[in-house]
Amino acid sequence: MSTVIEMKGDHQGMREEFETTDMALFVRTSDESMHDWDRQRIVDALMRETYVDFDTAKEIARDVEDLIAVSKIKMITAPLIRELVDTKLIERGLEQARKMHTRLGMPLYDVDQLILHPNKENANVPHGPEATNLTLAERIKKEYALLSVFSQEVADAHMRGDLHLHDLGFVDRPYCSGQSLEYIKRFGLSLPNSIAMAKPAKHPEVLLAHMVKFAAALQSHFAGAIGWDSVNLFFAPYLVGMSDQELEQLAQMMIFEFSQQAVARGGQAIFTDLNLYWEIPKHFEDVPAIGPGGELTGKTYSDYMKEAQRFAWALFDVYLAGDGSGRPFFFPKPMVHITEKFFKTPGHMDFLDHICDVASEKGNTYFVFDRGETAKISECCRLSFKLDHTDLEDAKQPWRMRYCALQNVTLNLPRIAYLSEGDDTLLFSKITDFIEMAVKAHLEKKRFIEKLLSLGEKGPLALLAMDRDGSPYLRMHRASFLIGMVGLNELVQIHTGQELHQSKQAFKFGLKVIAHMKLLVERLSERYGMRFVLEQTPAESTAYRFAKLDLKYHSPKSGHVVKGDISRGEVYYTNSTYLNNSAVLNPIERVRQEGLFHPLIEAGALTHIWLGEAKPSKSSLANFVMKTFQKTHNDQIAFSPEFTTCNLCHRTSRGLRSTCIYCGSGDVDGITRITGYFTKVSSWNKGKIGELRNRYRNQAFLDEKEGGTVELLINDH
Amino acid sequence: MGSLKIFTKAKCPKCPAVKEMGTELKKEGVPVFSYDLDTIEGLAEASFYSILSTPSIVIEDETEREVISWRGVVPTLQEVKQYLFKGLS
Repeated sequence: MSTVIEMKGDHQGMREEFETTDMALFVRTSDESMHDWDRQRIVDALMRETYVDFDTAKEIARDVEDLIAVSKIKMITAPLIRELVDTKLIERGLEQARKMHTRLGMPLYDVDQLILHPNKENANVPHGPEATNLTLAERIKKEYALLSVFSQEVADAHMRGDLHLHDLGFVDRPYCSGQSLEYIKRFGLSLPNSIAMAKPAKHPEVLLAHMVKFAAALQSHFAGAIGWDSVNLFFAPYLVGMSDQELEQLAQMMIFEFSQQAVARGGQAIFTDLNLYWEIPKHFEDVPAIGPGGELTGKTYSDYMKEAQRFAWALFDVYLAGDGSGRPFFFPKPMVHITEKFFKTPGHMDFLDHICDVASEKGNTYFVFDRGETAKISECCRLSFKLDHTDLEDAKQPWRMRYCALQNVTLNLPRIAYLSEGDDTLLFSKITDFIEMAVKAHLEKKRFIEKLLSLGEKGPLALLAMDRDGSPYLRMHRASFLIGMVGLNELVQIHTGQELHQSKQAFKFGLKVIAHMKLLVERLSERYGMRFVLEQTPAESTAYRFAKLDLKYHSPKSGHVVKGDISRGEVYYTNSTYLNNSAVLNPIERVRQEGLFHPLIEAGALTHIWLGEAKPSKSSLANFVMKTFQKTHNDQIAFSPEFTTCNLCHRTSRGLRSTCIYCGSGDVDGITRITGYFTKVSSWNKGKIGELRNRYRNQAFLDEKEGGTVELLINDH
Repeated sequence: MGSLKIFTKAKCPKCPAVKEMGTELKKEGVPVFSYDLDTIEGLAEASFYSILSTPSIVIEDETEREVISWRGVVPTLQEVKQYLFKGLS
């Protein structure tokens, strides 16, 4: 609510000794009423918002009034008055009071730009009035976070670019989450602020409606992704007796409902992950199944394998067809878990071919590798949680399996290398300092969220505080605190003179850095009784931000290190522990080498295989996926083809082109994977555009050999 | 000349047996490198060889190519020697 104070008439005659009531000013408020100038309001605000004493507040109010009186300002705004008060606080050395009295907001010019031009910080935010609302709110909450939630030390580290506090605009929410359909199957849709309560669904379409609405409610309470565990399996009891056609219709509804949710928060599609299994996951084999009406069906989930498999198959039929223009669906993302049991389950090769067909045609499939006894739930781009014995105990009552990461803090690794100037001891000591700062940020955010949660079902996080099964929806004791990294490749390059892929020595040094980080977060987890874990941050805009800041603070060194094109401003650091995007590597070798880091990164990791225009056969990709599972320790892979979609004829072709191959129109847009999701290239930030230009497409390696399979060179080491 | 790499952890019941084997082979002039997974260097080296369980043993030839490895299991001294001297010959 903005307030405008207008000078009434000539104020030339005003003198220092005038009284408030003499000052001919109106305060015009946004409710269109007029208020007289009242100096006391400044005093009230200072007393309410800061710890200054009454006499000082009165003095400041008088000083400000004098200043306004002698000025020739025709119209002054409330923010200006506040700034004038702040200058008086500074003059008196009252820095803390000034901070407490700060007004949060945006300059008129910025708001104008924001309303007119799209936001490129997050390619998943479209341009429109809702998106503008979201961005405006985010800007204010971001300022609030840096001034009020985090200590100055942490805020400064973020501002300098030593680290990045993700989703500051959503500071009053946890980061991302993993959900179980069993919760809404058992308890229905009963949200704290909802005007209607729905009993557990009796029909599959209703269950889907509940799922989508609940996802939208969760999107309003989490900053990032909403992952759903074992979706095909938990739907299965509702699917008994459905024909293929009915099943396909339901699969279509699910994918379109989630992909067209661009009417939710800020016009932003819900970042949704569907975890899918061909087999019955071991931990759900003997679990009593919940069916229509929230009732136990008298069977276990093992009895629903056929329905679960048919539904998974139908979902991939829909992905294969793409949307109405033949484009790949951006959301929901299908994460298929490849396990030892997968390969023992009948029909797995046909299913693998099917999902590889989708991977080659449209790129949607994520292959998540759960080797040995490990069971995992993937949450967002690459975040996943390995289930420990308490989770496996929870699995007997799957609605309890609700997880979240409270925050993600990413370290600028190249910055550490610049500061260390080639000294090993200094480098490892600085990594420790940066991680300790990230931990401090986590403690501060945790304290803040706990404060909000303590207000219970009447508080701002009512949904997360609701208790339907004996514990709050958000189980804080199971929360993870993510520590991500950007630019390991550049850290190694600065420190050793070679990039990760250029020598064994450089590669091993990279492993040493991540090993140090892993051992350190384990120690800190013990110390604080919290779960700090390393994560491969998707870093959609962070890789760009860090590169830009280092060009500013660490030039000229950084000029030789940042990737991309400096002359175009398209600069970036290589994401997380990835090898250089432009390095010419056999794809399986990239998968193997990048996979060596994955066991150290507990919260999940991923390797991208950029396909470009190449469209390898499904059997080639299936072969590749099996080799990856058997011969490497890579956690997750995704194949990314590129497309051109025409805004005129609405047809989609393979490859990134400047004109439409069907109608010749130049009004086209590229589509490919930006980080952990597909989106239109026109919405990308400059750093990601720079990366896109550099990506080494694996076309040559994936070209089919005469034998019908791709060349797979697996060296043991 | 090739080498033997041993990967152990402090809290690992089967590790002492492998450490002992390492000591024995060292006495016989075999280049033995020991790595503790609780240290940065040890964990980094183990990651390079995809060692996820302890104790593990890797035998490499002169060109640092892996000849054989035992992961999470303890081979007999005889078995190790069989590959070691084949690899080193």
